[in-house]
This record gives sequence, C-alpha cells and structure tokens, in this order.
Amino acid sequence: MKKTNGTGWLFASPYLLYGIVFFAIPLIWSMYLSFTDWNLISPVYYFKGFDNFIEAVKHPGVQAAFFVTFKFMAAFVPMVIVSSLAVALVIHGLPRFKGLFLIGFFLPYLASGVVSSLIVKGLLSHNSAFNVLLRNIGIEIDWLSTPLSALLVVAAIIAWKFTGYYALILTAGFEGINKDVYEAAAIDGVTSSQRFWKITLPLLYPALFTVLILSIGVSFGIFTEVYQLTGGGPNYATNTWQMEIFKQAFTNLSAGYASAVAIIASVVTFASIFVIRKLLEMWGKRNGWV
Amino acid sequence: MKMKKVASLFLTACIGASALAGCSTGNGDKSADGETTIEFWAAPNPTQQVYWKEMAKEFEKENPKINVKVSPIKESPTSEASIQSAIAGKSAPTMSENINRGFAAQLAESKALVPLNEIDGWEKLLKNRNMTDTIKTWKFSDDNQYVMPIYSNPMLFGWRIDVLKEIGVNEIPQTYSEVLDATQKLKEKYPDKYLWAKGDLADPTAWKRWFDFFMLYDAASGGNNFIEGDKFVAEDKAGVEVLKFMDDLRKEKALLTKQATDPFESALGIFTDLGPWTFSYWEEKFPEMKYNENFGLSLPPVPDGTEVKNINTFADTKGIVVYASATEEERKAAMEFMNFVYSNPENDLKWLETTKLPPARDDLSTNESFKAFFDKNPVLKPYAEAVPNAIPSIDNAKYNELQTHIGRYAVNPVVKGEVDPEKGWNEMKKAIKEELKK
Repeated sequence: MKKTNGTGWLFASPYLLYGIVFFAIPLIWSMYLSFTDWNLISPVYYFKGFDNFIEAVKHPGVQAAFFVTFKFMAAFVPMVIVSSLAVALVIHGLPRFKGLFLIGFFLPYLASGVVSSLIVKGLLSHNSAFNVLLRNIGIEIDWLSTPLSALLVVAAIIAWKFTGYYALILTAGFEGINKDVYEAAAIDGVTSSQRFWKITLPLLYPALFTVLILSIGVSFGIFTEVYQLTGGGPNYATNTWQMEIFKQAFTNLSAGYASAVAIIASVVTFASIFVIRKLLEMWGKRNGWV
Repeated sequence: MKMKKVASLFLTACIGASALAGCSTGNGDKSADGETTIEFWAAPNPTQQVYWKEMAKEFEKENPKINVKVSPIKESPTSEASIQSAIAGKSAPTMSENINRGFAAQLAESKALVPLNEIDGWEKLLKNRNMTDTIKTWKFSDDNQYVMPIYSNPMLFGWRIDVLKEIGVNEIPQTYSEVLDATQKLKEKYPDKYLWAKGDLADPTAWKRWFDFFMLYDAASGGNNFIEGDKFVAEDKAGVEVLKFMDDLRKEKALLTKQATDPFESALGIFTDLGPWTFSYWEEKFPEMKYNENFGLSLPPVPDGTEVKNINTFADTKGIVVYASATEEERKAAMEFMNFVYSNPENDLKWLETTKLPPARDDLSTNESFKAFFDKNPVLKPYAEAVPNAIPSIDNAKYNELQTHIGRYAVNPVVKGEVDPEKGWNEMKKAIKEELKK
C-alpha cells in the first residue's frame, strides 16, 4: 500500500509542482497584493486593508464588468449551444467523413483571437463591402460603437470559435446514444419532434451539461476579442473582468487594486458557476435526465 | 526503497530547477576581467533592431571593455507591461528605448529610473548632440531628466488637397472658420464624404488623445501646459474652443466616428493626423499618395484670430531610460554608449534614414548633415521645421487615468453630440482634479 502511494505521488509530482508554482503561489501572492497599494515596481508600498476592495466595488468599470459578464452569458451561451448542437446533429447524420468535418469545425478554436478579431474589425468597418451593401438597402449599424451590437459581435466571434469544440463533445454524446432506443421508439410510432425532445435531449444531457458549464465558464474569461475590438467600450458596454484587471494592472500600474478586482472576479465566477451548476443539476433531476 | 525516494526527490528537484531557470534572464554586470556588459532593450521593429545592433558593434570596437547586448522589448501584451514585469521580476535591462514621457513618469515615481542628469557625461551629451533647447520641455516636475529623447515627431495634419481643389479650396485651411467653410463646401459636393473620419474620436483609450485633442489644444493654447506636477493648469478658453470646434464639425455631419478602413487614403475623410512613419507604409501600400499632389501637410488649425505662425502641436516623442537596478559601472557604461551614438550627427542621420523619425535635436532643419536628406524627402521637412514648437506629453504618473477622463467626459461625448462643449470641459476638469487629489 505504502509502495503504491509513493509511486502515485511520484507520478503526480509534476502536476503538483506545476500547480504550486503557477496557481497556489500566485494566488497567495495576489491575495497579499490586494491589501496593498503596490504597483510591483516601487520600493515603497503601504497596506490599505480593505480599501482596494471598497474602491473596486464602487468603481464603474468593476460594476460594468459584473453585469457585462452576465449579458455576455445571456448572448453567448444560447448562440454557442444552438450552433454546436446544429453542427453536431449534421455531423452525426453524415454517413462518412465525420472526423474530417469535425476537424474542419474545430479549426477556429485553434485560430488566434487577435487574427479573428482583426478580420471582423475589417468586415464591420464603415466602408467594408458588407456595410456598403447594408447601407444600400437602408440599414446602417454602428456595429462596435453601439452597446448592444458591440456585445453581440464579441459574443458571436467567441461562439464561432467554440462551436467546433463543443460540437465535438456533443457528437460524442450523440454517438453514445444506443440506436435500439430509436428503433423501439419508431415501432411505438413517435414523431420526430418527440424523438428529439423525449429521447435525444435527455440522453444527450450529460454532454450538453458539460458544454453548458464550459460555455458559462468562458463567459467569465473573455479578453482578447474585447481588447482588440472595443477596448471595453462603448461606455463600459463590453468591459469584462479580464479587461478591467488588465487596464488597472498594466495600464494604470495599480497591481494592488487590480489584484483586489481579480479576487472579486474569482469569487463572483466561482459562486455563479456553482449556483448555475446546481440549478442545472436540479433541472436535469426534475426531468429525470440524470 | 531508499533509491526510489532519492530518485523521486531528484526528479522533483530537477523539475523545480528547470521551471525556475526558465523564469530567469541574465543581467549585465562587471566580469572578473574588468569587462562591463550592459543590456539594451530596443523597440521590436526590425529597422530599429538593425540600427541599435550596428551602433553596439561600432561602440564595442572603440570600447572593448564594454559589451552592449541589444535585444527586442517583448510586446506581449504591451511593451510597458513587459518592462513592468521585468522590473518586478528583478530582470530589468540596464537601459531601454521606446519610452514615452508619461510611462517614464510612472516609472520615475516608483523610483525605477536613474535621473540621467546625475550620471557623469549627461551635460556633454546634450552639448554634443546640440539639444539643449529641445531637452528643456523634457524636464520632469522634480527637475530631473529621466529620458534621453531620441526622436521628436511633431504631429501634423494631412489634408486631401485633391479633394479640396475639387470643392474650390486652393489653400489648406488654417483657422476654425476656414475649416468649417471648407467642410460646408465638401458636404455640398460630396454628402457621403467626411472632413475627419476617425473612429478613435469616440474611444476613451488614453493615448488616443495625443493624436486628436492634444494636437488641437497645444495649437489653440500656444503650447500652454495641461498638467503641471499635480496641478491642472490647462487653459479653459482654449480647451472649450477645441471642443466647440469638434462640436461644430459634428453639427455639419463632418465627423465619422465609426471605424473605417484607410479612410484618408480612400478620401472618405479629407483631414487626419499624420506622423512621419506613415510615408514608408504608403510607399508600399498606397504608392498613389503623393505629397503636394493629392495630399498636403499642415500644423493644426487654430481658433479665429490666433497668430498662424509658430503654431504648437503635440510631439510624439520617445527616448532612452536607464533603470535604477543598473550598477554604477553599468550606468557609466550606458552613458558612454549614449555619448558615442549621439556625439556624431552621422548616427542621427543614419537613424533618420532608417526610421524616418526626426532626431530630437535643435539643429535638425539647419544642420548641413541633414540637409541632403530633407531635400530628398521633402515630405519630412515640415516635421523637422516643427520640432522646436512641438510639445511632449504630460509627465504625470497618472497620465493614463487623466487622459482617459479627457476622452470619457469631453471628447467622446462631444463628438457624439451627447454633451455641450462647455459642460463636457467642466465635467472633465472636475474628474481630473479629483484624480489628481487621490
């Protein structure tokens, strides 16, 4: 038994070491920083108690980050679930080359957020062919300077990026459903709508649950697309937690304050994901899906 | 069993050591044989890398006891963040270039920089490079000099003179009413064109104010300071006039505050801020852009009744700093290297030829060494002539927050028609004063 423990620790040690160096130490360090006014470079700094936290809660950028995250979630999660479900359904129905198509849809996940943001920026610029076409039919949208459209554009880019990845999980879910169930249902004369809602969805629920939790997690970590496209604007309409932390730490050189914001962000993130996860579990149980 | 324990401990130690080794970078120091190595972080663009590597090589030939290691500043996510991380991680270089005055003020406030005026050889450097006047505007509020300015780009406005001619305007407008007059003619003939097509006007990002508000404010106020030390000293009249000018353009539907691709090059907008770096880019991408044929350059427009000679403008300037972590020998070696580079005007000429960025010298438009270059590159001449009237950015450590307030409370809402210019100015003033009190 002792021997097994030793080997286990040996194999786990690289990850443990990685966890200690890159997670535990920075976390403790960040907590310490959050009670100071240090900018990481000054030789002198002072303890501020909970001042950074109080200041952060009152700051419009932090307040915006809190609400913007939930708005992103409201836009992004349905977008990505519908699109990845659609892709997975189509691929599942293919007689061959499923893997090839899945790889194709997975590629955007590997694309740099900077590159995709710059392409979208060009596509949505005032004098792009797309906007000229829209203006010709009487539609004029200031895509990145209008709060709602800016938020939707960012959500759409991220949804495009993650669709292939989530479709992969959902396709695995589809493939795991026993075909006998469908055959039995066909004999009982179920309609295609009943087949989807009463068989496919409940049996797909474990994969769908994973995708839901992952996509909710993504909503709390948006940065590159916002940084490249809107800078958190207009008027904080796309200001995410990561954007606010970046601005405070690296633009205003307020590392202590930024650490306080980061800690608030992590508490909000963990609490939100915990609550949403519990609600989803309850919902699944109530419907008899889990 | 014991062997296994030893092996596991060894493995863990190896992983730990390699992880930590990956985080370290070597720093310049004085070796046992009396050689000093200094680390110089240069801007990451290839032209500046080549220039500084060449300078280092030539310097080392004459100073075999000093090694200069030139490497690019990492720009992930920004060069400022990389420098901040390097200082925090105690791996800052001896010196670096590409530092603007605002960031230098942040670093100086944190005691991360050496006052250059405290290193022997500083006065000699200023005299040899002929920059005693230029350097005056670079003095920080604590009377020290933390930055050795390499270049000073007086920002100018570009005008599409081909479009101006088409609408019957043969001279580049110089005053606000002349600009408004040209705007009305433009909108009459080309309702889909704009005077100023610039999405950044509606963006509160701090540095964007250098290329709109500060150019106009420096011109309208005659170069009056905006912030002095911790005091807001901006001239109200000039500030409100600038905002009113923007508001008047908005009312004429002459501002496009949406992002557009190459708006000036495509003549969607006929007026824009231009730095000398634009022309090398145009040579490659827009060879049809020809100076004095389809575009012209001018200093910023000024309020009516203002003297149109010696107009001030914003100077986009960057320079070299020496970090406080450098040892005495390294500081001395850094100053020797700067003296070597800048005591010979040929090196500034080489810089100018390589980068097209005007060296920060008093004699740029009069020194014979540069004459041939400007004769060959007439588009850069107006920049050289404007160097003495160019005002560098504010030197307050909170410049980011302060300039964000200019955007958020004044420029952005005014160009969107959300606030009256005077009210916007007063709200901005209140926010800046509160920020300065913190």
